[in-house]
Amino acid sequence: MSTTTILVIDDEPQIRRVVRNALEGDGVRVIEAATGREGIDRAAAERPDLIVLDLGLPDVAGASVCAELRRWSSAPIVVLSARHSEHEKVALLDAGVDDYVTKPFGTAELKARVRAQLRRSRAAPPPTDEGSVRVGGLEIDLARRVLSRGGVEVHLTPTEWDLLRAFVAGAGRTLTHDQIFRAVWGRAGGGDPQAYLRVHVANLRRKLEADPVRPTLIVTEPGVGYRFRAPG
Amino acid sequence: MRAGAGRGRAVLGWAAWVAALAALTAAMLAVRGHLDKAHVALGYLLLVLAASTRGTRARGLATALLAFLCFNFFFVPPFGTLAIRHPLDGLVLVTFLVVAAVATQLLFRARTEAAEARSRAEEIERLSTLGAETLNAGRAEDALNAVAEVIRATLGIDACEIWLPRPGDPPLALGARAMAADVPQTARDGLAMARLAAERGDAVTEQANGTTHVAPAGGGRGEVDLPGGAGAVGVSLPLRVRGRTVGVLRIARAGGIVLTPAQRRFFAVLAYYAALGAERVRLSAEEQRAETLHEADRLKDALIASVSHDLRTPLTTIKALAHELGESGDDRAVTIEEEADRLNRFVADLLDLSRLNAGELRVSPEIVAAEDLLGAALQRVSGSVRDREIRVEMHPHEPLLLGRMDFVQALRVVVNLLENAGKYAPPGTPVDLSAAREGDRLVFRVADRGPGIPEDERERIFQPFYRRPHVEPDVGGTGLGLSISRRLAQAQGGTLAFEPRPGGGSVFVFTLPAAELEDGAGLG
Repeated sequence: MSTTTILVIDDEPQIRRVVRNALEGDGVRVIEAATGREGIDRAAAERPDLIVLDLGLPDVAGASVCAELRRWSSAPIVVLSARHSEHEKVALLDAGVDDYVTKPFGTAELKARVRAQLRRSRAAPPPTDEGSVRVGGLEIDLARRVLSRGGVEVHLTPTEWDLLRAFVAGAGRTLTHDQIFRAVWGRAGGGDPQAYLRVHVANLRRKLEADPVRPTLIVTEPGVGYRFRAPG
Repeated sequence: MRAGAGRGRAVLGWAAWVAALAALTAAMLAVRGHLDKAHVALGYLLLVLAASTRGTRARGLATALLAFLCFNFFFVPPFGTLAIRHPLDGLVLVTFLVVAAVATQLLFRARTEAAEARSRAEEIERLSTLGAETLNAGRAEDALNAVAEVIRATLGIDACEIWLPRPGDPPLALGARAMAADVPQTARDGLAMARLAAERGDAVTEQANGTTHVAPAGGGRGEVDLPGGAGAVGVSLPLRVRGRTVGVLRIARAGGIVLTPAQRRFFAVLAYYAALGAERVRLSAEEQRAETLHEADRLKDALIASVSHDLRTPLTTIKALAHELGESGDDRAVTIEEEADRLNRFVADLLDLSRLNAGELRVSPEIVAAEDLLGAALQRVSGSVRDREIRVEMHPHEPLLLGRMDFVQALRVVVNLLENAGKYAPPGTPVDLSAAREGDRLVFRVADRGPGIPEDERERIFQPFYRRPHVEPDVGGTGLGLSISRRLAQAQGGTLAFEPRPGGGSVFVFTLPAAELEDGAGLG
């Protein structure tokens, strides 16, 4: 396996050091950039496998850096933010960011998030309708629309199927309410059905999870959306 | 000098009318043989009317009397005497006199009314000009200056000052002053007089001889009674709006203040304008002060936001370094990391409290399933309440329990209650979490077997920074959690209260509006 390159774009040298210490080793190489401009240049030159981006950069707004990177790179972007605003998180995820970590974060949390994103980006493309997925004791046959849990078939409504399909396609990523809504109902948010999105998810959980109050497959990201556990 | 010139003009006017009367009499005398008494009477009547129109009422009446005498003496036989031969001639004479007098009187009244109307029209014009000026004045102070200038010009006085209340000493400050161009600074101390008027609430009159009179001023918009009569060189009036003294109006004239009834009436109206102007100055100052306070509030909030933002970067470094040290086996590093977390919570709580105080916290309620909320809460406290069992009481087979809430804010309330229970309950005892529908409320209960809370503290624990006595202070709290939680609950139409737990311990009851699914809501 070749070396994994992670680019850290942050104007604070202490934070760069923290991220480097947390991620470096085990075949991971960390490169650094102190400004948004430099970050974009290094990303273009080095083609990193993952980018850790601080939003509070002095020269370019973090969102602009993200938009610029997304024009030619599909490498996962993990954002570091000092703000606790759910609106901001939603906007970032909608803009193509893969995950975010709120300051002050623990190194264990950062490592876990980065690993999850690397694993996801290296995995095979999301299963199509022909595939069948196994996750957490479930077997999901998207083509035949058959779901079984521990060998017992579970009945889903059409909306629940659409919801599950959206979750499986975005497995491992936080999907915003709006993204899920578009995937299921086929148009941008608004109106009554979106008000019931949470109700559909709660119903789906009752059919998928061993304990719906302690879900392990569909995890709530408060104020942002949901994340479906990646298969494997 | 003005009076002298007037008298000269009057004498000249009298002489002219006497001459006109003589000329008419001489002319008619020359053709007396061809004249009837009616012609003579009409000729004199014309003259009397002309005299009344041109001159005063007295001149008209005097001309009528003189014409009557000339009529009798020269044109009523026997000529050359005031005797009357025929009684009918007497009737003609008396009729002439009465007609002349009545006509003079009527003319006079018509002229007086015309003059009155003219002066009223002027008054109205001035007031409307003043009204427009004060309304157009951009600043309240400019409007006040306009009022002072109109008062000075209208009353023909030397100076008009408007004094406004101010905090401290002296209690009054000059708000506006209008001075006639050719008048030197008035010798008298306007402030002392204005102050006296403000303190007593009465009109203060300064006499030319240096004495001062204090007398009640006419109240409100009524006629202002200028005390002291013609000898006054200065008058200070308290200005009142709705019973409150809003300033003092002072007028001064070195030669004595003499006002006609019309000027007095006008003055009363103008004084009210001045009072309104003074009130406007006060209100605009207050508005400015409120704006300044608001600005200060905004700055404070911006400061808190910026501090909390700037604190998070170093906290991240501290936490990360402590974590590294902890992995190499130093126990103290764990404490450092925990304290960094606590500091972060404290900053976040302060920020929230300032947002709640500023009314800036936005809630966006939506329909949420109780188990979604509880699941998210359990996930969030899995780190902080890890060494304690949390038992959840929910019936998975009943229909979904739904509530209308802001998910993020409701989650914070439940998380805060769970963390508190984890802190205060004795080790080894579980925390019980339940959700139930009660009437139109969705009710969450967080119960522990901790020491409970004495009755007199059950409301106080919801106050910011309240620390319970006899309870170990160092349990990692900020003293803000419950007060923020209650306000978050209230912001979305909910409540948060304490209940003692049967058998010992605490129950925190968090209610939210329950929600129903409408039929055909598309849940296919």
